[in-house]
Amino acid sequence: MLATVAVVVIAVVLIATAVAVVVSDNLVHSVFWLAAMLITTALLYVMLEAPFLAAIQVMLYTGGVITMMLFGVMLTQRDPGSRVPSASEAPGWAAPVALGLGATLLVAIWTTPELAALTPTPSGDAQKIGHMFLDRYLIAFEALSVLLLAGMIGAIVLARKGDA
Amino acid sequence: MDVRFYLSLAAVLFVTGVYGILTRRNAIGIMLSVELMANALNLNLVAFGRYGAGALGQVFAMFSIALTVTEVVVGLGIVVLLYRSRHDVMVNLASEMKR
Amino acid sequence: MTWLWFFAKIGVALGIIFSLGPVCIMGDRKISAWIQGRVGPNRVGPWGTFQPIADILKLMMKEVIVPDGVDKVLFLGGPLIVFIAPVFGYCVIPFGNQIGEEKLQVVNLDIGLLFIMSVLSVGVYGITLGGWASNNKFSLMGSLRASAQLISYELTFGLTMLLVVMMSASADPLKSASVDLSKIVLHQAEYGWNIFGGATWWGLPSGLIGFVLLFTCAMAENNRLPFDMAECEAELVGGYHTEYSGMGFAMYMFSEYCSMILSASLIVTLFLGGWSFPYLTDPADHSFLAGVISIGVFFTKICIILFLYIQLRWTLPRFRYDQVMSLGWKTFLPLALVNIGYMAVIGVFLEKP
Repeated sequence: MLATVAVVVIAVVLIATAVAVVVSDNLVHSVFWLAAMLITTALLYVMLEAPFLAAIQVMLYTGGVITMMLFGVMLTQRDPGSRVPSASEAPGWAAPVALGLGATLLVAIWTTPELAALTPTPSGDAQKIGHMFLDRYLIAFEALSVLLLAGMIGAIVLARKGDA
Repeated sequence: MDVRFYLSLAAVLFVTGVYGILTRRNAIGIMLSVELMANALNLNLVAFGRYGAGALGQVFAMFSIALTVTEVVVGLGIVVLLYRSRHDVMVNLASEMKR
Repeated sequence: MTWLWFFAKIGVALGIIFSLGPVCIMGDRKISAWIQGRVGPNRVGPWGTFQPIADILKLMMKEVIVPDGVDKVLFLGGPLIVFIAPVFGYCVIPFGNQIGEEKLQVVNLDIGLLFIMSVLSVGVYGITLGGWASNNKFSLMGSLRASAQLISYELTFGLTMLLVVMMSASADPLKSASVDLSKIVLHQAEYGWNIFGGATWWGLPSGLIGFVLLFTCAMAENNRLPFDMAECEAELVGGYHTEYSGMGFAMYMFSEYCSMILSASLIVTLFLGGWSFPYLTDPADHSFLAGVISIGVFFTKICIILFLYIQLRWTLPRFRYDQVMSLGWKTFLPLALVNIGYMAVIGVFLEKP
């Protein structure tokens, strides 16, 4: 019971922060709302019995990604001052398209009988995840590390000063 | 609490991200919305991991997190480059390739 | 009864932070005076010991000036975040042995080490936020430097923690590594401290290097001199807290000491055996007296590390910014990688069943 209430509260906060990311008219506020949303998602992961992933999420997303985003905002800021206008202009069809997509997804979710039949299973702890990474999904894991290296080199080459 | 609740939540987050992409004009604002959508995807994976797939869901969520990080790194590199050449990061103004 | 224990443990954990914080401020001033051949604060109370209280009272009564054109919410939120993060981190530190059934640790998380890492990464937001919201070029420079420095040193930090996890796996008969901090401490109490290589003789160089790396990285993450690029008053006026006054400044200052205490506890937990000391504590003894002794041992160890921190602050000159970066990326990161590689390779070859 308590867990259900907690999940619902987290869900409400999650949606509120997500909307704030999208509609906030100051880009830096947007970034911080995104940080809040990612941390809330980590809480939801804890409720889904994936605490390891929750810690990874906070560490990587809020520690790495958000800091990089902040750098991005600050480096590409044109006007002086602590306000960065996010410059949204809503085309008239944006809201209908989004709402339509959402309605389609929700209908699909709630009319698929297979989903209702799923029951909770143990999520698996860090040890099991590690075994999967280095056993069954080793090739994907290695490919991912190559991709990360490629991304790093790509970013360095792109952002380097001089002959770009 | 069944899996459809989490899936619906993820769907709402995803749609919010879509709306953000459609309305934002600032390249970084668009990247933030993409993050939002990626996060909704991860939530789906973890929810399915809890309901049926076991540790597999978390493994794939972790793959997806790493992919997103790469995307952000390269994307920000491009944005910084865009700013350096145009002193602006509004995507609707960056349309030289069309001409 | 469980609730009583829970609150008692929170009390001890908060007590360690909030009692050591002012002691640290006092110690900082007294030791700096001692190193520089001055007298230091000596007017308030006996030998000036009430000076921190007077400082805090003064800062509380000062006006909080919110400069024109700043982002008010972020400006006031920055100090709060930076203040809360280390307190949060403290709830997974095991500060003593078990008493009866109760582990002396506020929450016993399986992912304790990762939790600390994530809390540390959240802490830098306070600095980034405050510096950016101040609407001041020097503050912005300071906060950008702080974030860049934190990202750079967090890599080495994480790799060194990985080393600790590997060490606590090496002698375990079940070979099950753990990121649970209380298990890491128990392992050290059983087989030997990680600074001396844990359970094995060939781990000694690895342990020593790991300790030095963790110690230095923690210093860099706390923005302490010689790594205080974020403040750097010679170049940046006051860095990220240039625009802060009164309580805002007090919270930034106090949080620096809080995160220092958290780092010191982490170093003690990971490398110096936590609450254990040979012949003084016994991991199997769960009596009340043994628990109190273990808390005392832990406290003493933290104080020694804190003294080292303060002493180093007043002994070493500040690095230049590019030196900090090249030290982090070109020296520490490869060193930590080689260290882990050594541990892994030797661990596989020497410990092969």
